[in-house]
Amino acid sequence: MSAALEIRGLVKRFHPFMLGPLDMTVPQGAIYGLVGPNGSGKTTTIDMIFGMGAKESGEIRVFGLDHLKDEVRVKQQVGYVSPDLNYAPWGRVRRAIQFVRGFYPTWDESYCDHLLHTFGIRRDESITTLSFGARIKLSIVLALSWRPKLLILDEPTVGLDAISKREVFSELLHAVHDGDRSVLISSHGLSDIERFADHIGMIKAGRMILEGSTAEVIERHRLVDFTPNRGHRIVESPGVFVQEMTGNRWRVLVDTDRAPIEWLRQNGADNIAESRVTLEDLVVALGRQ
Amino acid sequence: MSAAPRRLIIPPISAASPGALYQQIVDGLKREISEGRLAPGTALPSFRGLAEDLLVSVITVKRAYEELEREGMIYRRQGLGTFVSDTADERSRDAKKERARQLLVEALREATEAGLDTKDVVALLRALLPKKKGLKNVSRS
Repeated sequence: MSAALEIRGLVKRFHPFMLGPLDMTVPQGAIYGLVGPNGSGKTTTIDMIFGMGAKESGEIRVFGLDHLKDEVRVKQQVGYVSPDLNYAPWGRVRRAIQFVRGFYPTWDESYCDHLLHTFGIRRDESITTLSFGARIKLSIVLALSWRPKLLILDEPTVGLDAISKREVFSELLHAVHDGDRSVLISSHGLSDIERFADHIGMIKAGRMILEGSTAEVIERHRLVDFTPNRGHRIVESPGVFVQEMTGNRWRVLVDTDRAPIEWLRQNGADNIAESRVTLEDLVVALGRQ
Repeated sequence: MSAAPRRLIIPPISAASPGALYQQIVDGLKREISEGRLAPGTALPSFRGLAEDLLVSVITVKRAYEELEREGMIYRRQGLGTFVSDTADERSRDAKKERARQLLVEALREATEAGLDTKDVVALLRALLPKKKGLKNVSRS
């Protein structure tokens, strides 16, 4: 599968924060969930894709095109949604639509109608009187209606109620239905990402620490409690992330690709109790390190 | 051959139900097949179609289909779609038999841990078995 978005060795410094060197690959046709703690660099990464701020080094390619050299062609194919987008100056929904539509020859008016209907937004509504959630939905309508090949959403479900979230994800799944479109979504809604995203990437302190198919990544991790007998070797091993040590009972997160449970058993872990993890468990456990 | 009606083809997929989401799809489709609601030769929805209906990622559905394909319950025809196998009934029976065997192995281990001997286990099992032939009356609690 070719990549919708490919980032290699991206570096951006905002003293004292440093993003990167960051690698990231969004496969074509996938919904990709970008997760990580606050301040880890998710929004910075997205801003860099759109050329907002100059990168120190690295490469960003969208469908093989350089994001700066081929900026126009890239922007003809990439939609953007963020709660920070403010369409209020356009007054009514209708005018905001007219404004955005003008930029995109691929605008699909009937799809736009469908989306407005699904999200319960009327064209004659005043944007300033829309609820916070409805404004986010409006920016999703404006970004989806011209059918971008890659849609990038920065925290699109913040402030959305449970029903609205379902509607949004349902439309995103529909958007990637033909396999030609891809979605990159940064979110703290980890249970949603676990359910809807095909791929995930986890950023921490400006680095990609985990990337891959959602199911595969989640399934290969386990939370393991054990009583160590010669525990030192376990703790210093790759793929083992210590969570807690109380008395002679330890809790670790393990990446079973690098540290299989059987390996723990052979290297000094007694009375092993293991459990599967959710994406939230995983993000919390790795974020803590 | 038209695709099976997609909506409500299998029970709701929920994080609150036991098992990974893909496993719930596998189990749901197996149940539909073994109970005859999805007959051999029936076309299944596309990955993306079912993902959209169940509100799960495409990869979750893909995984479920791959699992069912590996077990011989369904088969894929390039360009045509995915269909319920002719031998799916049989296979789902085999799968159930294997699952029953695994559960018995587990039950046996627990029983041993609880200090029961062979005689106790047999007595326990006999008490659970219905009087008449077959297991039709065993409740599925």
